Amino acid sequence: MGRRRSSSSEETTTTETTTTTTSGSMDGGGGGGGGGGMGGACYMYPDAPATPGRVTPDVIYDRGIDMNIPLTMDDGNTVNMWGFSDTGGGGGGIDGMGGMGGGGMGAGGATFPSAAMRMNQGQIVHTNLNVGMMWLHTIHHHGIEPADHADGVGHITWDVNGTYTYQWRPMHAGTYFYHCHTNTVLHAEMGMYGALIVDPPSGPGTLFEGGPSYDVEAIWAVDEIDSSWHTLNWSAGTCGGDVGLNELNPDYFVITGVDGSGDSAMDLPPISATVARGQKLLARYICAGYHPQRIRFGGLTGTIHSSDGRPLPNPVQVTEIRACSAERYDIIFEPTQTGTYLVETDVIHWVTGQVLGTTRTSITVV
Amino acid sequence: MDRRNFLKFSSASVAATMAGTAGLLSWTPRAHAATINKTYYITEGFIAQPDGVDVYFRGFSNNTNSLAVPGEHMIVQEGDSVNITIVNTLNSSHNFTIDGYTDDNGDPVDTGRIRGGRSATMSFTAANPGTYMYHDSRNAPYNRLVGLHGGFAVMPAGRDDEIFPGSPRFVQQHFWIFNDIDPVWNNAIRNGNTPNTAYSPRYFTINGLSGRPPGAPGNGDPAIDAMHDPRSALHGHIGDRTLLRVLNAGQCQSSVHTHANHMEWLTDNGAVRDDVWLKDCIYLEGNMGKFDAIFPFESPPDAWPRVSVGTYPMHLHTEMSQTAGGGLYMFGSLTDIFFE
Repeated sequence: MGRRRSSSSEETTTTETTTTTTSGSMDGGGGGGGGGGMGGACYMYPDAPATPGRVTPDVIYDRGIDMNIPLTMDDGNTVNMWGFSDTGGGGGGIDGMGGMGGGGMGAGGATFPSAAMRMNQGQIVHTNLNVGMMWLHTIHHHGIEPADHADGVGHITWDVNGTYTYQWRPMHAGTYFYHCHTNTVLHAEMGMYGALIVDPPSGPGTLFEGGPSYDVEAIWAVDEIDSSWHTLNWSAGTCGGDVGLNELNPDYFVITGVDGSGDSAMDLPPISATVARGQKLLARYICAGYHPQRIRFGGLTGTIHSSDGRPLPNPVQVTEIRACSAERYDIIFEPTQTGTYLVETDVIHWVTGQVLGTTRTSITVV
Repeated sequence: MDRRNFLKFSSASVAATMAGTAGLLSWTPRAHAATINKTYYITEGFIAQPDGVDVYFRGFSNNTNSLAVPGEHMIVQEGDSVNITIVNTLNSSHNFTIDGYTDDNGDPVDTGRIRGGRSATMSFTAANPGTYMYHDSRNAPYNRLVGLHGGFAVMPAGRDDEIFPGSPRFVQQHFWIFNDIDPVWNNAIRNGNTPNTAYSPRYFTINGLSGRPPGAPGNGDPAIDAMHDPRSALHGHIGDRTLLRVLNAGQCQSSVHTHANHMEWLTDNGAVRDDVWLKDCIYLEGNMGKFDAIFPFESPPDAWPRVSVGTYPMHLHTEMSQTAGGGLYMFGSLTDIFFE
């Protein structure tokens, strides 16, 4: 049987819990799951222990699970997405991400992408994840670096059944995202992610303490979808057997939850943006897919001030950026010429370098 | 040499070979230049993958009865006299070269063609501190992909804590050599053919091993489980700044992602970066892409209450690489970071 890794904390007593594991052998492939249960899931550890060192938070996010989010593409086809529902009725989230335009509202109330989390640097945050009996999931706040028991890495800690509270305190303003970290290869591709924005103590309007201010905000989370993966079971492949998770052959390309291959995201704030000359536009770019990407700004020059939630020692001026999976870049534009500028992001095959698809949105300067 | 009966190796025997001959890996600083002698034997065999499939490999091994994929890392010091002998135990021709490296005369290091059953020796004086991949560049990229590669590093003279003079400092160092494996290609190479199918990697390794999550056969065995392989897993206390020499023997462009701390990104494909950026994901190009970074082993900044111990993963965020045989999430290229 599997042995869960213990977690620890300097100032609190480690919470040790006994759980029923779903680990099992992979003999025979595909069926496996010697531990039984959970629909053939293996090497997962259902648990919902008490949160070590729990204190009263400054901010709370309540998230549930929605495994039925129909996303309508420009060609009229619908692809099923999974996501985290916002069961707290807002919880301080803003704008940014959250299923705009594409018809991505699930029966369980979730959007694709999932509702954003947004808080100020230094606030103590509780992310309450409630998972029903049918599945196992976690929340990993990508780029946030908490204690291991708040890091949300399934399989090597635990996979939440019931309700678990991740407690953390972000200390660096910037752009992050959160995603499921159980059978991650599948769950994140299925759409189980949302934006996570940490503002400086002064709140929105400044990128980080001592950093640049901005007037308008856009968010570009570019992702690819292989619709052939979207009929798989939540635990597909975990017990062995070839379910094709080594091959991601996308047929749809989305930007912040909207089919980006055509015009759907061209005039859809806060994906697209309108900015007056003399104003500053902050674009928060998240490489939310797995294949590498290249984003171009249609002739505009932007300035990267921070990446992965950390300020650059010296800001860099760019007309395009190459990015790998889960990187984030915060780019400020101060356009001087009126016009409409096309922002295009190529999704590039990780082996061949072939451009698989491109998303489009726009910056309008008035 | 006719080797009709291929050696079959478990991951365990491969890693045991590595661990047992770690003399060069456990480099310690010296005040004076030394003479370094190393012999690699080109061998072949099969290595069992996490789903039980035996896949054919070749390697720069430490003796004729083992198979090392990757070959043992070499760390030398600027000014050292380095003698490397390659014994080709196979029937096919191979070579040994160090990618992008030149010695103190500005000359590349390359044995040239070594026919089956022959040997070759190179002697050079180490120069140009940095991180390099040695590999067989013949029949590129096939001989490299099938396992003929390893890590080579030159430390600056008189310095034991810098990757190049004036660099940010570290107290320990690791190679992370990633590879991706299409068994159809490996089998074609075994049969002396040029692969003619689209490359479709099914296995993903760091320093030759794949992960084994808790509960899986081999979990916790440092000879099988990449998450506990001492060549890959990071162990440190707060302040034990660790240099990561990251090399990609495979074809796949990847995203190297650490939990718990951002990495200090020092070099990109051999070039010293103008500024050190703090990154939780770093772009690793395919086909011998490389970078150097420092994992600082700082108290995880966003923990509340604060912590100084814990266990976190490093994994590629190109998540297809976290699988084996088309499934088996967390049996791919990942390792663990232990705050002790």
